[in-house]
Amino acid sequence: MTTAIQPSGGGGGGTGPSSSSLADVIDTILDKGLVIDAYVRVSLVGIELLTIDARVIVASVDTYLRFAEAVNRLDISDTGQKGLPDLIEDMNEGGSKAKTKGALEAAGDKLRDILGEDEHERSGQGRKGGD
Amino acid sequence: MSDTAETVFYVYGIAPADIETDPESRGVGDPPARVTTVRQGELAALVSEIPHDKPLGRPEDLTAHAALLDAAAAEVPVLPLRFGAVVGSEDAVAEELLEANQDDFRAALDQLDGKAEYVIRGRYVEQAILDEILGENQELAGLREAIRGKPEDATRNERIALGEKINNAVAAKRENDTKKVTDALAPFEVQLSVREPTHEEDAVQLACLADLAQQSGIEEAVGELAREWEGRVTVRLLGPLAAYDFVITERPGE
Repeated sequence: MTTAIQPSGGGGGGTGPSSSSLADVIDTILDKGLVIDAYVRVSLVGIELLTIDARVIVASVDTYLRFAEAVNRLDISDTGQKGLPDLIEDMNEGGSKAKTKGALEAAGDKLRDILGEDEHERSGQGRKGGD
Repeated sequence: MSDTAETVFYVYGIAPADIETDPESRGVGDPPARVTTVRQGELAALVSEIPHDKPLGRPEDLTAHAALLDAAAAEVPVLPLRFGAVVGSEDAVAEELLEANQDDFRAALDQLDGKAEYVIRGRYVEQAILDEILGENQELAGLREAIRGKPEDATRNERIALGEKINNAVAAKRENDTKKVTDALAPFEVQLSVREPTHEEDAVQLACLADLAQQSGIEEAVGELAREWEGRVTVRLLGPLAAYDFVITERPGE
């Protein structure tokens, strides 16, 4: 066995480095780095590790439904659904494209709040835990 | 070393013997354990003596492991171990880990001298990327009409079909955008490792092993992309980090 310095990947801001979030750390230290049991056998100690949800995403029906709903929400915003007069007024007044986008986004959030939908939480947020 | 039976040695990574640890530095465990070194020949292992019966893996443990190695990597070459490496005694760290693999580890550390890992992560801004995809694809725009405003239960199959196509379109975008980042880094002639996406809206996850002296150049190149993609992709550059994506244990037969 040898210790090689080479890419391990299977597939092959902008104002200076940002600090790592817990999600970044999880993506980095759980399945990368040297594996101790390749070097130490006799004195290796098993220690209980809390279950940590480290995963490479696998596209699933849930992912597809979430994308579809995201598109559906876009559509509602584009057409200005009736029943949200205040928000539509904001949208109409917004001059620049950037501002309009912001308002649309806000409308989407508001709508979700009203509907009490919370199943669209990103899978990624689940593992942020202590954040 | 006091109670051999009660405590074990958590190993963070391996560095040249002249590495110095701050007496104040703390690592995994609750309360966080002191970080010390075990030296053997030209090598040192960064370790913490911890109780053997307490589980590890809280968010604090994970960030402590990474923070210690990343801080070390900014100063000296370091070989990071995967989270959760525990050895029975200090002697075993010195002999079984360091002494027995001395040549191997020294050669790997030589290759890392003056280098560190940098990770470029990009995440699509959902609204922007969906707009872009729908604007480019009439078929998807048509499928969208089929579900518009209709209840989820009544349009489940249509939604799955649409969502799958969107997902595939995002994957194609990801491939293109990852290529853009690797092209932007090509002038630096650094080793690259493309990571698998860990979120369905990841635009790019790419690690590179660069000279510490190249950091400002890389910041500039990534910053330029970030400006170009503003509002479409949120770009972050992480580093200097320990070379997690570039140290490999090669076992015979693998």
